[in-house]
Amino acid sequence: MVRRHQRRSAAILAAAAVLFTGLLAGCAAQQKSAGGGTAGVTDTTVKVGGVLTKTSASGYSTKDAEIGAKARFERANAEGGVNGRKIEFVGAEDDGQDAAKGDAAAKKLVQKDQVFALVPVHAPNFGGAAFLEQQGVPWFGWATGPQWCGTKTGFGYSGCLAPKKGAGSQTWWGSQMADLLGGASGKTVYVQTTDSSGSKYGGTTISQSFQAAGFKLVGLNSGLPAAAPPPDWLPYVNKIMTADGGKAPDVLVSIIAGTKFNVGLYSALKRAGYKGVLTDATSYDPAILKDPAIAQALEGVVAAPMFEPFESNAPEIAAFKADVEKVSPGATLTQHMAIGYWAADIFLDMLKKTGKDLTREKFLATGNGSYTYENAGFGRVEYPKDHSEPNGCGALVRLEGGAFRVAKSMKCFDNVPLK
Amino acid sequence: MILGYLLSGLVTGAIFAVMGSGLTLSYAATGVFNFAHGAVGFLTALLFYQLNLAAGVPAWLAALLAAGVFAPALGYLLHLVMFRGLAQAGETAQIVGTIGLTIALPALGLLVVDLLGLPRADGTTLPRGIGPHPVLGFEVLGARLDTDQLITFCFSAVAALGLWAFMRHTPYGLRMRASVDRRRLATLRGIDVDATSALAWMLGSGLAGLAGVLAVPVLGLDATAYTVLLFASATAAVFGRLRSIPWTFAAGLALGVVQNLVAGYTDFLEEITGLRTAVPVILLFAGLVLLNRSRDRVAGSAAEDAPPPDHLAGVPAWRRRLPWVLGSVALLVFTFAGPEYYVDRAAQGLVLALIFCSFVVVTGIGGMVNLAQAAFASMAALTCGWAFSAGWPLFAAIVVGVLAASAVGMLVALPALRLGGRVLTLATLALALLADQVLFQVDAFSNGTIGWALPALGFGFADTSDPRVRVVLLLALIGLVGLLVRNLERSASGRAILAVRSAPAAATTSGLSGPRAKIVLFALASAIAGLGGVLFAVSKGSITATDLPAFSGFVWLAVVVLQGVRRIGGAVLGGLVAVAVPELLETWGVSAQVGAILFGAGGMILAKHPDGVLAQLAESRHRRRQARATAAPAEAVSAPVQPASASPSGVAGVGPEPLFRLDGVVAGYADCTVLRGVDLEVRPGEVVALLGANGAGKSTTCAVAAGDLPVAAGRVLLDGVDVTAWPAHRRARAGVLLAPEGRGVFPGLTVEENLRTWLAEPDAVYERLPQLAARRTVLAGALSGGEQQLLTLAPALARPPKVLIADEPSLGLAPLVVRQVFEVFAELRERGVALLLVEEKATEALAIADRVAFMRLGRVVWTGPRAEVDGDRLTAAYLGVT
Repeated sequence: MVRRHQRRSAAILAAAAVLFTGLLAGCAAQQKSAGGGTAGVTDTTVKVGGVLTKTSASGYSTKDAEIGAKARFERANAEGGVNGRKIEFVGAEDDGQDAAKGDAAAKKLVQKDQVFALVPVHAPNFGGAAFLEQQGVPWFGWATGPQWCGTKTGFGYSGCLAPKKGAGSQTWWGSQMADLLGGASGKTVYVQTTDSSGSKYGGTTISQSFQAAGFKLVGLNSGLPAAAPPPDWLPYVNKIMTADGGKAPDVLVSIIAGTKFNVGLYSALKRAGYKGVLTDATSYDPAILKDPAIAQALEGVVAAPMFEPFESNAPEIAAFKADVEKVSPGATLTQHMAIGYWAADIFLDMLKKTGKDLTREKFLATGNGSYTYENAGFGRVEYPKDHSEPNGCGALVRLEGGAFRVAKSMKCFDNVPLK
Repeated sequence: MILGYLLSGLVTGAIFAVMGSGLTLSYAATGVFNFAHGAVGFLTALLFYQLNLAAGVPAWLAALLAAGVFAPALGYLLHLVMFRGLAQAGETAQIVGTIGLTIALPALGLLVVDLLGLPRADGTTLPRGIGPHPVLGFEVLGARLDTDQLITFCFSAVAALGLWAFMRHTPYGLRMRASVDRRRLATLRGIDVDATSALAWMLGSGLAGLAGVLAVPVLGLDATAYTVLLFASATAAVFGRLRSIPWTFAAGLALGVVQNLVAGYTDFLEEITGLRTAVPVILLFAGLVLLNRSRDRVAGSAAEDAPPPDHLAGVPAWRRRLPWVLGSVALLVFTFAGPEYYVDRAAQGLVLALIFCSFVVVTGIGGMVNLAQAAFASMAALTCGWAFSAGWPLFAAIVVGVLAASAVGMLVALPALRLGGRVLTLATLALALLADQVLFQVDAFSNGTIGWALPALGFGFADTSDPRVRVVLLLALIGLVGLLVRNLERSASGRAILAVRSAPAAATTSGLSGPRAKIVLFALASAIAGLGGVLFAVSKGSITATDLPAFSGFVWLAVVVLQGVRRIGGAVLGGLVAVAVPELLETWGVSAQVGAILFGAGGMILAKHPDGVLAQLAESRHRRRQARATAAPAEAVSAPVQPASASPSGVAGVGPEPLFRLDGVVAGYADCTVLRGVDLEVRPGEVVALLGANGAGKSTTCAVAAGDLPVAAGRVLLDGVDVTAWPAHRRARAGVLLAPEGRGVFPGLTVEENLRTWLAEPDAVYERLPQLAARRTVLAGALSGGEQQLLTLAPALARPPKVLIADEPSLGLAPLVVRQVFEVFAELRERGVALLLVEEKATEALAIADRVAFMRLGRVVWTGPRAEVDGDRLTAAYLGVT
């Protein structure tokens, strides 16, 4: 028994030795890991691909951003490319709203598919940020999460939407709303979020936005369960209906992702006799108009998109619609399409401004060297400033009679430091 | 206002109550805790939605079809392909199998929706309820309710009443409760427990379906929301102690009210993110710890998870390790030659493998199922990130992280000391959710949604930003963990753990400390998981609170168990598979739903092969060898069937033909043959006493006679009909009644209900045995030993079977009662019943017997008339002297 023991231990030792030798050999063979600054670039092409949350447990999907980006790239290619190079768009990976999968997807695009940059990245829980920053690979998309902020490589089409304390925080939502309502003085606002740190953070920035515009904050509630809508809205509705000294507030802001939550909350509020303004960031989704019950529940809601609404007359929007129609005939326009489109648009502009001699280093030097780009579609971006704060631009649309109408066109406002 | 909260809380609670009742019902009836209960609800709701929207079926009809037809049918199907096998498969396989279903069922539904091009169904769709659409509101006692809520409440009330009536007042309900109470005894009473389980699953699924359809206007078609609903319902079920449906129902209603009151009146808790959301989880944990102390398995372990036979035991050590050494070498070669991306994937697989090794320690060795492993990994990674950002050196931060995970592991182990089995599993689930919802939401600890950034781990000459370095490092660490596990298994403490696991009471009396062993296991396992978590964070470059969600811990467990949780090899394979399979699916362009379905199908395999892929490979190799070995010397192993006795047992013509006959029966348990050719006959109106020393095989003979144990060779004949292949319940219905050793009563049923399991009308019994009549509404478990034995035999008096087999009927009874019992036997003999009495103490049996059979070492060594029995024969039979 003892001898058998010793023999086995010896075998394990031998195996360990093999491993250790392997370790040394590995270090001897150490090479430069990144594919160099010209990966994905040929004389005639630039290769890009994106990471989206196409599927998720909750059903949230940003997959339309792929159509948007493709539409914008096809137009660029039809116009002869950028600096003589056509865009080779390899499509978008799905991260399933899982950070580890997002990390793997970013690695696949960079290491296996050898793309030059990641466009569009539109995934709330994107996990590849650290890898991309370390490899110096530029990435473009909607910077809703803190992983974007403070990087040198992550370019949100509306800046960094999760600024740290002390950095600039948006005021456009409150200011646009004040303009819409004919001034904010004497008006009250109540902010409802869910019980998660992400949503609570949103509550803080949005409260500040409305306060900066002159509204009086009468409540900031984060009692809603985050994972699933409450089976019973009564306790939350009661709080709202009595928030302003026993009266209902003039404006209710919902910082909740998910139509399901908002429809539940708004229907319950309307049944309780709420007459004020309802506003949120996610209801601008033409798909919801298909279901009359949802449309009815959301009737009157003022949604706050961070791009020029599709109902606008701006020529940029006409071009956007034509481009999307070309790649996906008959498709319903969605928020995610616009995000993919404008993210691609900024990438193309930065590519053009970098010039013919293209490496990632040069590209990033352009993007991070007092880069400014204005467009009626999304307002304005300024990098490197917008690496740490939002671009401060947004629009309002109102759902009236079962159709969205532009309430306030895209406009940019000055940020204030986040408390 | 409080009245309003109360009323509308009851509506919410009604959904918890319906779902919880289904959970309790199926668990109590089959012993399988169905994690997929919520998924069944989701699938039913999805069907309801599609029937209504895509097929245009009216809402009420769609609801009826979905919850009344589809959900029970789904329950029956799952019973056939999965639950039936899982019920015998041990706890780990049960949990993993149903977790697999939780993932597979919604994926299957969504895939079908995709393939058929049906209307989109995801979290953003808002399905209607059964009632008018849009809903109509009205006021009751100052509370604002709507039609959907009213319908929910009415349906729940109807379901509750119907369920109560079904369980209490129908023979099906009685059979189900009898099977819940004592499954084996139920089969001996002619109850087909398999059919009863099927019924329980159909009912349980129906209730899940009903809850699903009722909840869909609120929850939407979101599989996650249904899993959350399942956890809340599990809380209700736990407060019903997983046995009582009325209590579950009441607890469900109360939970709805409590949630409303918490939401309405506890604004002071708002500072602590997630605390109020976590109320059901906190209650779940409290309920588990306070109400559900496991009575039969105190050691927090599942003794029935017996290890599989080691089929490779005869193979030399080098040969056992060869595949793994070759595998490692191949991986290393690949690491230094392969493309960077795939090497990176391999490194990621090994990170998971390292985390998975912790399951080998806690589940494989310790036999405890822990669902909180992702929380441990997350805990370590976040602590490491926090320490590093506070200025600690990276190595120190890693050590701190691992220690923190280990400390939390010990904390989790504390309730484990008191809890056992599934209760412990549910407790770890509650803690995992609590960590996710509250602890990791503390901004100071997890740095909000930003998380902590971590640099690469440097070794001077290389660092972990190179995936090749990670592969080598992880292989070395996994090797170390493997050594640790091997030493643990062989050390004194490892043996102590195994002893505690297989025989807690014996281990305690031998002075082995179960609690200490368990704490060591938990601490060690969480340290390993923590190390894995830290390396996960280091290789990713950052860690946030949502990177390793609690649910991934459940999936991990499933992946490891599918490969084999008893060995490190299973963990390594599991890690690589977890990374490779999604990669392959994507390369082939297969929908992610298909992956989820395949994963769920793994659970079905587990129902047949509970020890996973590796054990199955070893077993099939073993079988191949065996087949080859036996092919040469044919007939070498065939059972030695020979005429058992020198006595004139076969001498017929003495009275009527034998009614019941065992003919050369060979039987045993697993590899151990107990009966080696038993011949025995009983004629109508005859008492045969089967005597023999302890261990002679008497009880096994009874089990074989009743059909409780399969026969390896030989025949069992009843009235000349070969009944060898008949299951126990069929033999019982044909008239073979076994009164098993100990008391043959259902302790959880009343005297009346006990009698009704065998009799349609128990009045005849009460006339014959008035002492039972006086206690007809008393639970049988509360009767005295004598009364219980009378109750065991009473059904036979009222409806005499053809054959009555009584195993040790006088055991532990007062002499007066023994006499009464034997009077019953005499009466039965008069009425023409063939009686087989098995006794160790011969005196009483000999007094009544017509013929006597002696058993020794699995054979009947002598049979003859009572008159021929003398002291010498008795001595020979008991002492083995010839």
